[in-house]
Formats: sequence, C-alpha cells, structure tokens
Amino acid sequence: MRASAATLAALALVAAGCGHSSASKQRTILIAVDAPFSRSPYIGNTIANGGRLASDQLTLRGITTGGATYRVRILQLDNALSPSRAVANVRRALREHATAILTDGTGVDAAWRLADKQHVPVCIAYQGGSKLVNPENRPNVFRIAPTDHGLAFRLAEYLVPKRLKIALLTDDSDYGQAGRDALDDAFRTVPKAVAARITLPASASDLAPQVLEARRSGATALLVWARPAVLGKTIAATRSAGWHVPVYSTPAAEDPVVRQQLADHPSWVDGLTFASGRMTAELGPAPWSTFEASYETAFGATSVGVKSHGRRVIAPPDYAMYSYDFVNLLAAAVQSASGTDPAKVLSALNQVTTRGANGDERGFNERNHEGVVDDDVYFARFRDMVFRPVGDDPLSSTLPEISQVR
Amino acid sequence: MSTPAAAAVRTGVALRETLASARESWTDTATAGGAVAVAAALAPFVLGGLIATDTLASGAYLALAATGLGLCVGLAGVPSLAQGAFVGTGAFAAAHVLRHTQLPAELCALIGAIAAAGLGTAAGFAVRSLDAVRVAVGTWLLSWLLALALGALPWLSGGAQGLVVPTRRLFGFSPTPLVHYELAVILTGLCALALVALRRGPFGLDLAAAARHRGAAAALGVPMERLRVGAFAASAFVGGLAGGFAVQLDIVADPTAYGPLLSFELLVAVLVGGAAAALGPSAGVVVLGLIALAARALGGLAGVSGSRFQPMLEALLLLAVLTTGGNAFVPAAIASARRLRPERRRQSRPAGAPARRRRELLRADELSKRFGTVTAVDGVSLELMPRTITALVGPNGSGKTTVLRLLAGAQPPDHGRITLGSHELTAASAAERVQIGLVRTLQTRAYFGELTVLQHALVGTNRTRRHGGAVRALVSTPLYRAENRLAEAQTFAALETVGLAADADRPASELTGAGRQRLMIAAALATNPSVFLLDEPSAGAAPEDLERLTAILRRLKADGLAVLLVEHNLSLVRAVADETLELELGRVVRRETNGRL
Repeated sequence: MRASAATLAALALVAAGCGHSSASKQRTILIAVDAPFSRSPYIGNTIANGGRLASDQLTLRGITTGGATYRVRILQLDNALSPSRAVANVRRALREHATAILTDGTGVDAAWRLADKQHVPVCIAYQGGSKLVNPENRPNVFRIAPTDHGLAFRLAEYLVPKRLKIALLTDDSDYGQAGRDALDDAFRTVPKAVAARITLPASASDLAPQVLEARRSGATALLVWARPAVLGKTIAATRSAGWHVPVYSTPAAEDPVVRQQLADHPSWVDGLTFASGRMTAELGPAPWSTFEASYETAFGATSVGVKSHGRRVIAPPDYAMYSYDFVNLLAAAVQSASGTDPAKVLSALNQVTTRGANGDERGFNERNHEGVVDDDVYFARFRDMVFRPVGDDPLSSTLPEISQVR
Repeated sequence: MSTPAAAAVRTGVALRETLASARESWTDTATAGGAVAVAAALAPFVLGGLIATDTLASGAYLALAATGLGLCVGLAGVPSLAQGAFVGTGAFAAAHVLRHTQLPAELCALIGAIAAAGLGTAAGFAVRSLDAVRVAVGTWLLSWLLALALGALPWLSGGAQGLVVPTRRLFGFSPTPLVHYELAVILTGLCALALVALRRGPFGLDLAAAARHRGAAAALGVPMERLRVGAFAASAFVGGLAGGFAVQLDIVADPTAYGPLLSFELLVAVLVGGAAAALGPSAGVVVLGLIALAARALGGLAGVSGSRFQPMLEALLLLAVLTTGGNAFVPAAIASARRLRPERRRQSRPAGAPARRRRELLRADELSKRFGTVTAVDGVSLELMPRTITALVGPNGSGKTTVLRLLAGAQPPDHGRITLGSHELTAASAAERVQIGLVRTLQTRAYFGELTVLQHALVGTNRTRRHGGAVRALVSTPLYRAENRLAEAQTFAALETVGLAADADRPASELTGAGRQRLMIAAALATNPSVFLLDEPSAGAAPEDLERLTAILRRLKADGLAVLLVEHNLSLVRAVADETLELELGRVVRRETNGRL
C-alpha cells in the first residue's frame, strides 16, 4: 500500500513536471526573408544575414514571454526580383505562420494585402520608393532603410549651395525611374541648378553619348541615380573622356560591383560621392563596431574584390544593420504582446522601440512606419577604394571613419 | 405538334444521337483520360500537405497554356515560341481591364484572351508561309519583343512592382487558390477535349495534312495559310485565357514573368509530354514541375539558387526526347498500352451514296508560261470532256507538269484562259478549283504522316463540306455529325474505287509506295471532282500495280470524270487514253485519238 502511494506520488510529480514543461515549451518566431537571392545576391544575402545574426543572438539569449520560450527562425525565400514570386513567397510564409516578412521591397504593392488579412507585418529593408509605405492605407507595411525622398532631398540640400550645374542622369530601370521622380521633386524649387536630365540605357555597353550630352549641357557635376553596373559604366565613360567632373550618387555607389568594374583604374573611383544611411550615431562608433564584429564572426567580411594600399577592401554591412534592427524590434513586439498573436504583434510594433545596431533608437508609431529618418542620410566620398564621410556636410563631418580594409 | 414541343423532340433526338455517338467512339484512351481528369481535380485534397494549392493552381494554368500551344504544335506542326507572349498579353490586358473597370473577373479574362488572340492572328499571319525553323525564330523574336516592351513601358507593365490586380469573385466563388485550381483543371480538360474534337474533324485533318506534306495538301485544296493563322489565333486565345485567369491568382501582372523563358518552357512541356496527345502538354507541365524540384535539390547541393539549374535541365530533357526519336511520354505510353490491349476496330461501314457532281467540260485556251528566259508552256489549248481520258506525253522538260500546274492553279499562267463549265478558273486559287470540281494528284508518293488511310482520304472531302467548321466540330452539332456520316460514305466509296476500303483503319505509313499512290487518288476522288488531273501515277509501279491502276483509270472514266493523265508509260497511255497530246518545248506538236501514238 505504501509502495503504491509512493508510486502514485512519483507519477503525480512526473505529471506535474510534464505540465510545467508543456507550459514553458519552446515556440518559434518565424521570419520569412523574401529577397532576390538569385538575381541580386549581394542585396539578398545582406538582408538575410542581418536578420539571421539577430535571430541567432536572440535565440541564444532566449525570449521568454507569456509562459513560453521562443526561438527565432529565418526562412529564406528567393523572389528573383519578380513581384509574382514575391506574392507566392508571402503566401508560403503565411501558410507556415510566419510572424513577420522581411523583404527588399519587391512585390510589396501586391503582397502587403495578403499579409494584412492575417495581420502579419511586412518590413522593407532596401527599396526606398515613397509609395511603398503608408501607415494609413497599409497598416502592416514598415521600412527600415533610407527613402528615395530622403536621399534626393539631402542630395539637393548638399549640392545646391555649391552652385553647381548638375546633370541628373537616371537609368531606365525601375530603380532609375523612381530616382528620377524623387530628384524631380527635390530639385523642383531650384530649376537653375539642373543643367540636363538624361536617361541612361541600362543595357548599353558604352554610355559615352549620354556623358557627351551632359558635357555639352554645361554641367559642372553629375548626379547619377542608377543601378551599380550602370553607375560604373557612366564613371568609366566620363573619366576615359578626360572629364574630371565631380560625380554624386546613391547607395548604389557602395555596391562592390562599381569598384570591381573600375578596378583597373582606381583613380576613377576617387572623388565619387554618395548619399546613404549613416552607420554610426550620436553614441559614437562603439555599437556599430560591436555589430560589425559580430557580423564578421558569423558570416565573414564581405570582400569587395579590390585592394587599397595592398590590403583587402571589405564592404561594411550597413544595409544588414536594418534587417538586424527589425528582427530585434519584432522580438520586442512579441515580448510586449506576450506571444505571437499576429494582431497583437502588429499593434505592438507601433509601440516598442529598441536600441539599433549603430546605437540609434529604432521604432515606429501609428503615424510613422519609417525606421530611418531623412536626417540620418549622410554623404561619403571614395579615396583609394574605400569611402569616408565628407567634411563639407554638417552631419557627415561629425561621423567617424569606418575601417574598410582587413 | 406545337413548336416548343417539336423543338423538344428534336433536341431529345439530337441528344440521343450524341450519346450514341459518344458511346460508339468511347475508347480505353478516353477512359484513361477521364481517370486522369478526376485525379487532377482531387489533387489538392491528396497533395495538400506536400504541394501548396497556389503552386498547383499556377501549374494548372500553365497546363492550360501548354494545351493551347499543343493546338499549334500538335495539330499544325508549327513550333511556336510565342505562347509565353500570348499568356503575357492575356495577363496584362485582363489586369488593365480589372484595374480600370468594374467588369466581372471572368469577362476580364475573356477580354485578355481576345487580346491575345488578336496578337496571335497577327503573328500567325506574319509566319503563315514560313518553314518550321523560321517560325520558331520569328515567334521567339515576338517573345523578346513583348518582354522588352514590358521592361521599357512602366505605364503598361506597372514597373518593378508590376500591375496590382483587384480581386473579384470567380463564377460566384471567392477567388481562393483552390477555386482557381479547379477552374484551371476544368478549362484544361475542356481544351484537351476541344483538341481531340478538332483533331478528328476537318480542321484537324487539314492541319495535319498541311503539316506533313504541304504540296500534297495544297493539291487537295487545303487552305494551309488560313488554317495556320487560325491555329495560331486559337492557341493564343487559350494562352491569353490562362494568362487572364492566372493574373488574378497571382494578384499582380508581373513584367518579369512572361519572358522568352516561359515560351521555351511551354514548348518543352508540349514536346516532352507529347504534342500528339491531348493530355501530353499537361503531362509535360508535370514533368517540368519535377524538374524544378530536381533543380532545387541540385541548387541546394551546389549552394546556389535552383532556378539556375532549371533551364539547363529542361534543355537536357528536350534534347534527350528529340535525340531518342522525339517519342514523347504520353504518346509513348498510349502506344505501349495499345500494344498490350489493341483498340477495337470499326465494325460497320457507313452507308449511303454521295451525290455526284455534275460532269462538265474543262477548256484551256492558249495557256503560256515563262520562267525567266525559258518558255515552259507556249500557247497550249485543250479540252477535257466528261467520260474521257486525255493523256499528255512528251520528253522531260517538254512542259507537261507545268501545264498540269497551270490547270490546277498551283501557278498562274502568263497568258490564256481556263474555264470549267460556266466557271471562270483562270484567277481562281487551287483551293477554289478543288471546290468547283478540279483536283490533281502529285508525282511524288506523298502521304500525311501518322494519319490512317480513312483519315487521309477524308482530307479530300473537307473542301465540299458546308458544316465542317472548327466551331461546329467543337460542339458536334447534328448537322456536323450528319455531314460526317456523308463524308465517310463518300470516302469509303473512293477507297473502294482504288481497292483500299479494307485498309481504312490502317496507318497510311504501312502501305506500299503504290498503295500510297492509290491512297492519294482516293483522297482526290473524295473531293467529288468532275475533272481529275494525274501526274505520272505509274512512276515506280510494279506490273501488278499497273494493272490495278489501269482498272482505276477506267473506273474513273466510267464514272463520268474528265481525266488528264500526264504519263511516261506509253503502254498505260495506249491502254486507257481516248486522246493523246504530245508536247515538245511547251507546244502541242501532235494530237492523236483512241490510243494511237
């Protein structure tokens, strides 16, 4: 009898233990990364790696809320820059009960509504089109990346006081066309600053005719808003013609493709100036350095494929920082919502803030779904295949130089 | 009986006839096809855990587009590489209509299909007379043109984000992937049935004849170019319909989705699955799906995207199919099944004598034809009387075949006039002359590929049919079926004349050379001519074949036909000819009667 009672007691304990285990069982926060891994691997991998770094750190640290422990998992889906594939990817993500979708921006116009029906947030970590994000009409679409509007207005703000006659060169890709709209908007009030508006055919092997047209217009500066390969060809056409005009551009300039294209003429890259989201914040370079070190430990440094003074040049993971920040923000939202209930997580995303990889505070609210404000756009200039912040812009001049050689 | 009651009775009779006809023509292949259709309809419920329904629905729309392409490739023998462009045209046209109007979703898809059919008609017109290689290149360029246009015109394509399409109910249902899938399966099934109906009907037989031997088909009056344009238009319509519905499943018209690669994949699907079988293109799409899985696995091993391997594997598969004799999966499976379990042969022969055409006199006056500086025919005049055999003899290069071609309308004369009874034929096309009653056979022993002996001869009857159009064939109207019976009777009569009635269900490829020659005579006879032009029918004939040919020619004469026989074999001429004209350097140098030479 006593033995039976002991057995019963032991069973009760086991049952209690099981019950406790079930209450704190491990659950998953699934984040689908929908990006062009096959067509633009640099962009796709940058977004995915940033997200994966954050997910690994969060899983290691452990997210416990609502009586459950969560691990974060990244589901990588290739959209190949195709909107219909992006829609199919979003459908798959929703079938697999993804908590959020992280995207470069491809197909968001079509796919956001599908995600919205299930209250799943979609975060854009690359494209800057102004129509993509609108908290009123698209309550589940967020962005952590510089906007086209921000880049264009900061470029105008930076260039107009220099009294330059600027030739606006945009390529005929969608990226270039969106840029042209943003530049037209930014330079509307200063038409005299614009010497010419020229379209660059993205498929042309030689852009000398377009560069000659810009030169004949009397331009004293070129502002090129084009895909990296087209930017490289434009610089080559300009410099090979012996025209030493200053060239300004967008974050496309920091894509390794540009420097690889011009590797035989490193001096042609010198002076190329571009606008992008700043890597460091008021807190100084320490948070960024920590993030960069973690990134390189996890994935290795992204080699550009060129050398500077005999040392290997690497690309800093600045855009990976945005996807990294979103995953952390999502984890904060899950904690705030005490679980992964989609509607609650979506609502919480409008409330929570986190400290970003560069030390900046990241967060959204009901009226603003932009994670990078226009004032965070800085300017950098290339010399010896690496870039450093310019000194003639109030914001940029305060930013530290980030080492890009290993 | 009141009019509605009479109509009801007629409808009942027609329905009974339809059922009886369906029962009679039901085969093991049809049973297998039905089983496949049922399995396809149930697939989402069985494969739900393995393959997502939206993926299945996309594949089903691809199968629909491929089945449409099967119409062009399988029936017309035209390797179109523009089906992707037609799907894209349907998709973007439907997307624009959906965005700018409140029209129902089905109507928008139909408008997309009509837009695609318009483009298909234009494309078909452009390539109507080109050979297969040039058709492939031309249509491939069209695919590129559409892709470039979509890339260059953001107002048309919606740019990188594509054109977002509003969702509307489909046939009263919420447009879920499952509804799209079932709709796509139904449409693909209907398209496959249409393919079968067209293949068996005059449209399909004419296309098959034109695809296999253009010259012989032209001699029978097959309007090849018009049929080819029609096949392109129909193929594009189906492709456009697939695009118009698929874009509603995707909820975005994607400018990157309709490039030349899609056209290539659709052609691969048709060739791999089998253009000759109605379900072949759908089977090809399933194979493509398996290739995508294999490519993904390979990509996983290589650490790159599977999409980089997919076109390569597809090209390898296509090469494998083509280099192993082009025997695609479904036709090969059907052939194997038939070897194991042969289909039952037709037991009864259709009865009923065809109405004979009125026999008339063909008159040619002062026909002349020059080729550069060479005068091939110089002022030839002749009369072909009913119930008379006229022989045209002469050395090689004397102009015999040219006279025949001028009479048949294969070439226009430079001078001269041709009449048949009260009909003026000088400017008439070959097809019009066949309709009026003038037919010709070729010197070569041409035959139409895999068609049976009966189908071969049936091609001849198509010129005189009034209710044999493609639409009537699709819905199998009572008039169409009645005319079918008459055409078969007419054809059997022609086959009996040449001694091939017992071989009606055999493939023509199994006949001897002389047998094929007689078969083409039967096909020409099936046009119900009053004037028959024969170009060296005895070429290569064995003695026993000559005897049979002599008997056939006498039978033609006895039936009241006017026969012009171009012949080298003078003993045959002596045996049958009532009048003999000898040509030399394009001129008639001698006329003899009663076989004297």
